[in-house]
Amino acid sequence: MFEIASLVGASESTGDRAEELFQQHRRQIFRQTDQLFARLMLFQWVACIVIALVVSPRTWDGASSQVHIHVWSAILIGGAISLFPVWMTRVWPGAVATRYVIAVAQMLMSALLIALTGGRIETHFHVFGSLVVLSFYRDWRVLVPATVVVALDHFLRGVYLPYSVYGVLSASPWRSIEHAGWVIFENVFLVISCFRSIREMRFIANRTAALEASDQRSRQLFDDAPIGMAVVALDNQQFKQVNARFAEMVGYSEQELMTRTPLDITHPEDLADSQRLVKEMLGGTERCCVEKRYLRKSGDILWATRTACIIRDKDGKARDFLIMVEDITERKRAEEAVREGQRKLEAALETNQLIMDNSQDVICTIDESGRFVTINEASETMWGFSPNELIGRRYMELVHPDDRPATEKAAAEILESGKLADFVNRYVRKDGSVVSVLWSASWSATKKKLFCVAHDVTQRTRIEAALRDAKEEADRANHAKSEFLSRMSHELRTPLNAILGFGQLLERQNPTAQQRARVAHIMSAGRHLLNLINEVLDISRIEAGHLQLSVEPVAVAEVLDEALDLMRPLAADRSMQLSVDAQLEKDLHILADRQRLKQVLLNLLTNAVKYTAIGGRIGVSVQQSGPTRTRVVITDTGAGIASEMLARLFTPFDRLGVEQSGVEGTGLGLALCQRLMQAMAGDIGVTSTVGKGSAFWIELPAADSPLKALPRNRTATMDDTSTTEVGRILYIEDNLSNLTLVEQMLAEQPNIELLTAMQGGLGLDLARQHLPDLILLDLHLPDLPGHEVLARLRQDKLTRDIPVVVISADATARQIKRLMAAGARTYLTKPLDIGEFFRVIDETMRNRNRHLEAAVA
Amino acid sequence: MTSSRNNILITVLFCATWVAALGFGARTLFKYETTPGTVGLVSSNWPAGSVVPRQTDKPTLLMLAHPHCPCTRASIGELAQVMAHAVGKVNAFVLFVRPPGAGADWDDSDLRRSAAAIPGVTVLTDDGGTEGAKFGAETSGHTLVFDREGTLVFSGGITASRGHAGDNAGESAVLAALRGETMAQSRTPVFGCLLQKRNSVTEPVLCLK
Repeated sequence: MFEIASLVGASESTGDRAEELFQQHRRQIFRQTDQLFARLMLFQWVACIVIALVVSPRTWDGASSQVHIHVWSAILIGGAISLFPVWMTRVWPGAVATRYVIAVAQMLMSALLIALTGGRIETHFHVFGSLVVLSFYRDWRVLVPATVVVALDHFLRGVYLPYSVYGVLSASPWRSIEHAGWVIFENVFLVISCFRSIREMRFIANRTAALEASDQRSRQLFDDAPIGMAVVALDNQQFKQVNARFAEMVGYSEQELMTRTPLDITHPEDLADSQRLVKEMLGGTERCCVEKRYLRKSGDILWATRTACIIRDKDGKARDFLIMVEDITERKRAEEAVREGQRKLEAALETNQLIMDNSQDVICTIDESGRFVTINEASETMWGFSPNELIGRRYMELVHPDDRPATEKAAAEILESGKLADFVNRYVRKDGSVVSVLWSASWSATKKKLFCVAHDVTQRTRIEAALRDAKEEADRANHAKSEFLSRMSHELRTPLNAILGFGQLLERQNPTAQQRARVAHIMSAGRHLLNLINEVLDISRIEAGHLQLSVEPVAVAEVLDEALDLMRPLAADRSMQLSVDAQLEKDLHILADRQRLKQVLLNLLTNAVKYTAIGGRIGVSVQQSGPTRTRVVITDTGAGIASEMLARLFTPFDRLGVEQSGVEGTGLGLALCQRLMQAMAGDIGVTSTVGKGSAFWIELPAADSPLKALPRNRTATMDDTSTTEVGRILYIEDNLSNLTLVEQMLAEQPNIELLTAMQGGLGLDLARQHLPDLILLDLHLPDLPGHEVLARLRQDKLTRDIPVVVISADATARQIKRLMAAGARTYLTKPLDIGEFFRVIDETMRNRNRHLEAAVA
Repeated sequence: MTSSRNNILITVLFCATWVAALGFGARTLFKYETTPGTVGLVSSNWPAGSVVPRQTDKPTLLMLAHPHCPCTRASIGELAQVMAHAVGKVNAFVLFVRPPGAGADWDDSDLRRSAAAIPGVTVLTDDGGTEGAKFGAETSGHTLVFDREGTLVFSGGITASRGHAGDNAGESAVLAALRGETMAQSRTPVFGCLLQKRNSVTEPVLCLK
């Protein structure tokens, strides 16, 4: 439907165009004929004058003469007749009025000529000639005014010139009719000629319009073609015409291409082929199609399929090329990508083959039935069978009979899980020897194949067995060592207890000065030996992983104060200044075991005091070293340590050559400090300058204060952070921060009386004296271990029934189980959850009170 | 629209002016061509003392002509037509007037040669115009026909207008006279130049008497 409408539209359009062309042609004929008559008029005017001058130049009066009136008539009347239509052809060329005026003027010119020639019959041919020339307009209507003028002229002559052959009173009346008949006869043929000319013009216009439409369609096809098209001249090889698509493809404007040849934009590597093809086409090849590269204006390469054919003129002579170019750059890229992929695949296959060929491991595929499908050459090395011997054979036949059940089980598992790793079984080689193989395999459900890699682990298995034996031996030795240390500790402490005990008794019996000095030597040697034993045992525990730590938020200032309090008398004895950083924040906390931290600080401070000359200075400062670390630095003004000796500083029993200095020491202190710091996720280090002093530092993770866990703006209302029970609670805890926390938590509970003890022994005493309703017990206390305090509470009749809630950061399941078995009611871990804390207190005290009420009742 | 109307108006105006100018010119020319020349006192018989040799066996035709008058070319042409029909039946003479003072070669003109070439026509020269005056002819082309007895049977021009060839009443009358037929008219106007300059010319037309 749409196509028909389009055709109808095209037909109407062609008809309109034909009419337009026809009218253009008519206008052109009118103008051209106007110009013809303009020239003819001027010529006729001149001719009139010449004729007048020749025929009747002068008129005579006897012997005298004057210019004949015909001459003046030729000049004046002839001029009047000619010039006006000439002027009109200039002013209104092609106009109807111009044609009609010309027709009238031409016939008047005939009349004038007839008059000037004295009515010569030959001159009358000018009338017929004029009618013929007027028919050049191909407008029959022009003949009408011309004929009218002829008729009027002859009529008037007939009226005024009786006996004239042209008048009504001519010698023969039929002659005028005959005369008029000839004019009509000519007019009839001229009118027929005009109509025929019009028909021919319309025919030409229709054909021209049709040709134009066809040309327009061809042009439109050329311009709008989705492929690049160009016409190239055969003679100079230059572009004559290109469409927009071609210009877009090569990146040049159409004007730029007009000054170029296709070879100018051909890739240099394709030039030779292109030139050869051009020669072939010049030699008679009608059509050729190639893939070639063009160079875009930007320098990029355009891959294209170029089809060329010869365009011939109407005589069949080759004039131009028509080239059609299709952009196949993307296709070429895709092909290149495929080729690259194939290259990579081949390379990968080659690599895989190399791996397969050179691998010491067996790489194989096994089908569903357990038969080898592919296998590499390593099979010969591993099992003594070549790949050809194994392909198609069941692998299970090679498995050691003792390992077949496990292998079958593993094979079943891999079908379910899809993967198998670190499976070891044994195979019987061709020569009968046994080889252990470690398997890694994966199952492809789609390909129904196992992809396997087998590694010979015979040697490794032997080594592992040897290692296992060695470890068992080492464990036994370690156990023996622990046993030895334990025994040694007991065996050494027992006599030391007697030595130190009796030494103290001797000091109390007022000995003489000499005796006192001797006792002092005994006590000093004994204490030294005791410290040595303790440190050896500590190091031994740490290395054995038996050291128990209670890592929790510890207030740095508090621990430092305690350590410094202990050190001040010793420093004062040596006239030393012991200063602390004034900026030290009381609320600064670190994660550490409080007792072990204090032990490390005391050790470092003791060293500073011992190895600094009398009157020296010792400073303590605390720094933030990074966003999550806190560093405590102890500086002294001692002799300093040479840099080459620093590496030996933390080696046990290495005193860096100060054994002879008289300063007592075991050589284990710094080694123990380093191990303790590592056990608490901390670090220890030193910087020292010989002659100026040293700076020892420890670094531990920073922590928030436990008090931050307290809810703000607490009220006395009943909620999960309060208790309604009435009673007395004893809290045994050496960490002041934790004590403060619990104090503040219970400060708003008027029904609860809180007693605190920072040592285990003191806690036991308070328990016996005040018989609290609940005891909160920390496990790490400076004098007694927490489980020892628990055991003593349970042994004492007075305190046996008091519920004990253990609070500790060291909350392993094994330890909780052990404590519960030892009599603890329950266990709370640090940091404390306040809601859980009050719930446990409330519940425990309620049960205690009920129990007491029941006992009273 | 207004411009197109103005163009039409201008065209019509120009055309009207043109037609009017041409009409005036044509009228002037037409008036000149159709205004006859003067005719003198024509004797009804052959004048006595005429040197023209009249013969009594045939009628005599006499035309007086100016040897240079272009209008007379038509009269000579009509005379040739007449002679074609009446050769051997008439004695025909063409007298080319030579005005007083004119040169010897005055009448050596194409008209004289044309007239001389007409079979049966005798060309004579009328020195001083005396013969013309005897016949009362004043305008070139004036034709006279006398019968055998010397009686005037026709007097006038044998062209329809000045210098205009073609059939005309004068020619028809001459042919009728020569054939002995009844003439429609025996007098016709003469169109041509004056044979001799008049001393008193009162009319603007050159050939008028």
